Amino acid sequence: MVRFLLNRFGQSIILLFIVTVITFFLINLAPGGPNGVMRMDASPEERQAMIERLGLDEPVIIRYFEWVGSALQGDLGTSFNSSEAVVQRIADRLPYTIELTVFTIIFSVAAGIILGVMSALKRGKATDHVINFSSVIGLSVPSFWLGLMLILLFSVELGWLPSSGVGPRGADFEFGGWLSHLAMPVLILSTTVLPNIVRFTRSSMLEVISQNYIRTARSKGAKEFVVLYVHSLRNALIPIISIIGVLIPRLLSGAVITEAIFGWTGIGTLIIEAANGRDYPLIMGITVVITLVVIVSNLVVDVVYSQVDPRVKNLA
Amino acid sequence: MRRKWWLFVTIVVMTMFLAACAYGGDEASEEAEGAEPESSGESTEGGSISIPIVADPTFNPWHPNAYAESNVINRVIFDGLTKPGKDLVPAPDLAESWETSEDGLTWTFNLRQDVKWHDGEDFTAEDVAFTFNEITLNEELGANSASYFGQVESVEAVDEYTVQFNLSSPVAALPAYLSFNTEVIPEHIFQGQDPWNLTSFNKENPVGTGPFKIKSYTSGQSVVLERNDDYFGDTAKLDEVEYKILPDANTHVAQLLSGELSIFALDDTSAVERIESADGVDVNGRDTNRFFWLIVNQQQERFQDVKVRQAMEYAMDRENIIDTVLQGYGTIANAGITPALSEYYTDDVKQYPYDPEQAKQLLAEAGWEDTDGDGFVDKDGENFEIVFDIGIQGDLEAIAQLVQQYLIDVGLDVELNTMDWNTMIDKVVIQRDYAMTLNWWRYPPDPDLKAYMHSDFADQGNNIPAYRSDEMDRLLEAGAETSSVEERKEIYTEAQKLMAEELPYMFLWYPQEVQVKRSNISGVPELAFGDTLHYIQEWYMEE
Amino acid sequence: MLGASLKEDVNQAEPQEEKRRFVLLTRLKQNKVAFFSLWFLLIVHFVVFVGPVLWPLSPDELTDVGALAPWTLQHPFGTDDLGRDVFARMLHGGRVTLLVGLCAMLFSLIIGTIIGACAGFFGKVVESILMRITEAMMAIPNFFFVLVALTVLGTTPVMVVVVIALTGWVEIARVVYGETLKWKEYEFVEAANAAGASARRILLKYVVPQILPSIIVSGTLAIAWAILTESAISYLGLGIQPPTPTWGNMLQNSQQYIWTAPILGVLPGVAITIVVLAYNFLGDGLRDALDPRFAKK
Repeated sequence: MVRFLLNRFGQSIILLFIVTVITFFLINLAPGGPNGVMRMDASPEERQAMIERLGLDEPVIIRYFEWVGSALQGDLGTSFNSSEAVVQRIADRLPYTIELTVFTIIFSVAAGIILGVMSALKRGKATDHVINFSSVIGLSVPSFWLGLMLILLFSVELGWLPSSGVGPRGADFEFGGWLSHLAMPVLILSTTVLPNIVRFTRSSMLEVISQNYIRTARSKGAKEFVVLYVHSLRNALIPIISIIGVLIPRLLSGAVITEAIFGWTGIGTLIIEAANGRDYPLIMGITVVITLVVIVSNLVVDVVYSQVDPRVKNLA
Repeated sequence: MRRKWWLFVTIVVMTMFLAACAYGGDEASEEAEGAEPESSGESTEGGSISIPIVADPTFNPWHPNAYAESNVINRVIFDGLTKPGKDLVPAPDLAESWETSEDGLTWTFNLRQDVKWHDGEDFTAEDVAFTFNEITLNEELGANSASYFGQVESVEAVDEYTVQFNLSSPVAALPAYLSFNTEVIPEHIFQGQDPWNLTSFNKENPVGTGPFKIKSYTSGQSVVLERNDDYFGDTAKLDEVEYKILPDANTHVAQLLSGELSIFALDDTSAVERIESADGVDVNGRDTNRFFWLIVNQQQERFQDVKVRQAMEYAMDRENIIDTVLQGYGTIANAGITPALSEYYTDDVKQYPYDPEQAKQLLAEAGWEDTDGDGFVDKDGENFEIVFDIGIQGDLEAIAQLVQQYLIDVGLDVELNTMDWNTMIDKVVIQRDYAMTLNWWRYPPDPDLKAYMHSDFADQGNNIPAYRSDEMDRLLEAGAETSSVEERKEIYTEAQKLMAEELPYMFLWYPQEVQVKRSNISGVPELAFGDTLHYIQEWYMEE
Repeated sequence: MLGASLKEDVNQAEPQEEKRRFVLLTRLKQNKVAFFSLWFLLIVHFVVFVGPVLWPLSPDELTDVGALAPWTLQHPFGTDDLGRDVFARMLHGGRVTLLVGLCAMLFSLIIGTIIGACAGFFGKVVESILMRITEAMMAIPNFFFVLVALTVLGTTPVMVVVVIALTGWVEIARVVYGETLKWKEYEFVEAANAAGASARRILLKYVVPQILPSIIVSGTLAIAWAILTESAISYLGLGIQPPTPTWGNMLQNSQQYIWTAPILGVLPGVAITIVVLAYNFLGDGLRDALDPRFAKK
């Protein structure tokens, strides 16, 4: 286990290094610059003053190493466009993205398992076909379009759900308002992973059902309910833990669009803002943090998986 | 048995979800409706309004990253020496009166003596001197709007409540410039600090002199201001002003219709029809100091011929563009001074009605004719090929597509090249590496357009088309230095005629701002939204 | 799981690979949804590639009926916000969208096949380096990078295709890798190896043809993915830019008319959905047809 973790750690460092190098040089060598420098009515003198202030007159390679140096000490620099610490800006926004993705995972896993099991148990029947068909539709609809249609229906026509924002927070927090703001974003984001979970549950359930011990349990006269839950589902669920690890990067990618549609002020809307404003330190900061989030969550999934599944435990 | 069980689970889950949504939705709308009766109380005083902004603001008018979203807050929290009057002539704000010397090289401002900062400190001439000397005129800082004060050499605090601006050459527009995003910030907080990195002020707790002061700010969510009871003018009637950070324009419309937003300028006019048909919402067109333009790079020889520029102006059906893209909210422009500056504006200049035949004629006179019958005009065997660079923002892309079609119709081979905004600035404004582009200028309420058309700024600066004309230089200089309104009128009338004749820019239109407002808010002067904010203390809610 | 099914297949002594490819179409015919999808896609491609030639109106030119005109015989889908014929724009937009999908798919297939096949065939260091890269690509939420790259580098059609392809090859590489591992154990490959054929020859002549069906399946699904991704980046304003129409940017443009002309968004949205749906059904159908276990049941 320790070796496995060390190995993972080494790979993560390399991954982070490659990701930061590519991003840093990409953004710095591309045309355009930070908003302050690129203000349309700024005079050449104002522009030059900003370039010097932001340290953009130094060669890119030197700036990269300076950035790495302070990043290693936990300092991701100061956002060009707001003069706040990058760490602070990310810390302000990341919780919203985590909230959105965690609730999406909970919803998708719950709905996915229910639908997947239903589909497996009714294999070949109408229910199975409907669920399969819907999964493929879910995979095929552009999620932002579906989002707009939902807004059109629930916000514009019916006026049931707010079209945008994360709802009142802090002192004004109130459960109904929170849930109504969360409902559509979670639904839309779940279309990026729900179909996969349904399909995966279905096939893993089918596999388990056909195994000998289930037949044994059945022939021993165990109740259908017990067979289904105690024996089949538990074993079918183990692989689903592993698929969550695979789906996390996809969820975070999907979160960018989802947040943009619903004005969800998470890290996805922040990266859009940062990219448009050429906020180099902020782009770098988000890149590092999002890569770390994926690395850590995958690690957690692996560790949990190895604890649950004895076969993997032995391998590690 | 089994089937029923599943059915049960599914129904329960679905019901819970739907119930939660419906419950939450009701809750949200109740809340929105509840806000008004609750706060309107016994009198018409009080209440709160909401204004949308598109990004996190910076509470410092001079900060290089303070854009529109910050301006609409800063002019409520802070005050400038002057503010745009209801007739757009500079009106007193922190300064009670002002005068200029004979030679126009010094301006003296007499300040109010009853002004206190939100933290209780007294406002004095030192604050003004500090703001200008240490922030605006400090070239290393590259402050916003600093370019308007290029001729200011220093600002002196003559006594506690008098400041004097010393200029290198006369600037008649100085009081107008001082009303435009140039609010005064407190010396006692900024003294010895890095003004851009003082986040405790710029991002958290600004201290101004305005009718409202900060109550709370949550990044990505909202800024709430509350009434400043010690304001030097009439105390504001509203209790609170909330700025909601909502990047998406559709959300603005949705929340306006549902009553969650109170007033703003509609950036995207495509929804205006829907809003006009809604109850409880007023829609008003307001003149602003903006003009849209199409420009060609006059560093290139082919664009130096005025006939080519005139041909392009004739080629465009600007009425149609105004109708389709701006939903009619705009006036044809043939020069740069806007109708909002009613004292200086004249429409008695050369007109360019839509006339493709005239355009082709002019192109032919300039030597561009379609000799090979491919539909494009050519000269010396080469087609008139133009790459049309466009930054992606607002309506620009849509307008550019229409302009492109009109220019193709008269035989110009125009290819559209869209790019992100910052890339466009780099390419077009800084490198001057472009052939044609389309954009707009917004300027302070003064007809001084030197920065945009004077040859001093042709190579770098805001004369992006690189237009050079001695005659224009002379007029613009004279206008900038003359303080008599009567004399300036004459000069700028002549300048407008020259602009229309020579087309340094191919003027498109003066857009009207589409101001939308819930009908129950009153006391808003008939000005552009940005200017009405200087009078926010007069706004009130009706029962 | 992968390991288990692998062993199973290797145990089947004689490869029926020759028959496999021909059987594919026959099996596909049995899957009505997939077969219908295939026909549907053929028709759609025919319409968008030939249609623009037949339909007299240009997608860019302004019509004389004005903006947002209603549906008439002359303009079957009316006109858009600027007064252009929506039908013409749908045809041309479809052509660009499908071309982007096809090009991005081809490009990802090439990258994915090379990486997957090399990793599987050569093993050892090559395998571990290539597969680490593949895993790393899977672990990154690549949309963040797509967004940054397209914002700063610009959104020319070539750039859009390249960026989509660079993030889309990973799935394909994994499939090809798995298949290559399987096939290189077969006698005829080993025989060729023993006979001293060059690695390139063995790969191209013996291995790739065997995995071709799997590649086709991956390619079909990759097109669906590419079309969706193009529309998603268009939503953020980073796709192919107007005046070139694509279904994605038409959809994006329609957003601001959600209040006054919601129909503008429905057409391209439905078009994208059904085409992607058809590709997904076709891909699933092909996969089932390839997998004897599924086909039997």
